[in-house]
Amino acid sequence: MTSRLRNASGFALVLALLLLWEVSARLGWVASPNWPPFTAVVAALARDVMTGEIPLLVGGTLWRMAAGLFAGGVAGVVLGLAFALLPFVARLFAPIVELLRPIPVPAVIPPLVLFLGLDDTMKVTVVALTVFFPVLTNTVQGVRAVEADALAMGRTFGIGALRRALFIVLPASLPYILAGFRIALALALVVAVVAEMIAGEQGVGHYLVMMQFAGRAEEIYATVLLLGMLGYALNRGFLLAERRMIHWWFALGRQSDA
Amino acid sequence: MRSALRWLPGIALLVLLVAGLEWAVNAGMIRRALMPPPSAIGDALWDLLASGDFVEPLFATLRLVFAGFAIGSALGIAAGVAMGWWPAAYRLLEPLVELLRPIPKAALVPALMLFLGIGEAMKITSVALAVFFPVLINTLQGVRGVDRVILDGARTHGWGTAHVLRHLVLPAALPFILAGMRVALGLALVLAVLSEMLSGQGGLGFLILDMQRSFQVRLMYAWLVILAVVGLALNTLFLIAERRALHWQPANRP
Repeated sequence: MTSRLRNASGFALVLALLLLWEVSARLGWVASPNWPPFTAVVAALARDVMTGEIPLLVGGTLWRMAAGLFAGGVAGVVLGLAFALLPFVARLFAPIVELLRPIPVPAVIPPLVLFLGLDDTMKVTVVALTVFFPVLTNTVQGVRAVEADALAMGRTFGIGALRRALFIVLPASLPYILAGFRIALALALVVAVVAEMIAGEQGVGHYLVMMQFAGRAEEIYATVLLLGMLGYALNRGFLLAERRMIHWWFALGRQSDA
Repeated sequence: MRSALRWLPGIALLVLLVAGLEWAVNAGMIRRALMPPPSAIGDALWDLLASGDFVEPLFATLRLVFAGFAIGSALGIAAGVAMGWWPAAYRLLEPLVELLRPIPKAALVPALMLFLGIGEAMKITSVALAVFFPVLINTLQGVRGVDRVILDGARTHGWGTAHVLRHLVLPAALPFILAGMRVALGLALVLAVLSEMLSGQGGLGFLILDMQRSFQVRLMYAWLVILAVVGLALNTLFLIAERRALHWQPANRP
């Protein structure tokens, strides 16, 4: 009983802070139009969800995120396999990759706008670029971690290089690749929103900036709250899928944070 | 010498690509309005460097990154050590941290602008927020991973808590803390550039967006090159510092 009470201290703190937020706004301790009570934020969230305005925006953002995740992920895995299995490819392309990697993503948006315009193509490309690097790095690491015995066995049985790559190396490095995708997933959502904030008139990001110009604090907090929940749900969902796809990895007693 | 030879094909390809771009633009295959020839970008870049015009925006962005990174890291390490060391602190703060962590910090920039305006305070806060959580999580992991036996040994020798934290826990957790800070440094640069873009004033991020919107494409690329160099330099410097700080560690670091 006491231990359960002690564990509750964290939730009590969260509740106390929410209560403080509510009371300070209701009683005017913080006299600012930018400080709406928590319940008003929740009400705004419910209202915008009911009217269908937010679900439509979120749907668009999620679609662009998914498309970018797919494109960047496939490119990252393919190039990662090539880097790790064919040293010459690595030597050829690594300098370019290492030069591009440290450029902060928001900065590539303006040049991409010139080439690809303000709409879906540009945003999907920005997300794909973001996703590409962590997936590439993890794929290379994953291939390096493949057991030499498994490869030797494949060679003994006369399996060709391409089939070895697809049926031995790829499954064996899957835990690493998935870990890369999990990092990329969180980044992809943020970057999709960032691209919408900087350019164009689509999605949740644009909505956030509009609400900021309009000074609608409730809508801003509601959207931030929604994005937080969305990020959390995506991560949870991915962890579940990961458990299913590579249950053998966990069965070996290893951690998901490879 | 041999390692330099190893990367020769890659560098050759890079040079080839730039030369090919120059040729393609001059041959009219790519519109100049979108992609000026690399030599023209080089000229614009040289003008910026020679005239010293690059200094002010560059330092504005760097100041932002360093201030936010320092504040976020210090708070993240402090909170991480507290949560990793005192179970009561962990129980108290863990739900709050788990609640706040998934909120995308980039989406908080508009909210911060309502409160703090578009000046330095807003930008530094957004950078610090982005830095705080990865540093906190890694510090927590590092502190929790400290070998119990060593801690018991220290207690046997009568070390006080402060002494143990300073001379035992922090050094042992350092590889984790630095790994978290390395990730956070990249995020700091992203948030600095983003908040400059959204606030419409400040250093490199603002200039890149502004040059694009006013169709001064050469300057946009020139500033982008400067920003890329900054990103590469920060990353490299951190790796060197990390390696020096951890020279006593075996090679398999997190």
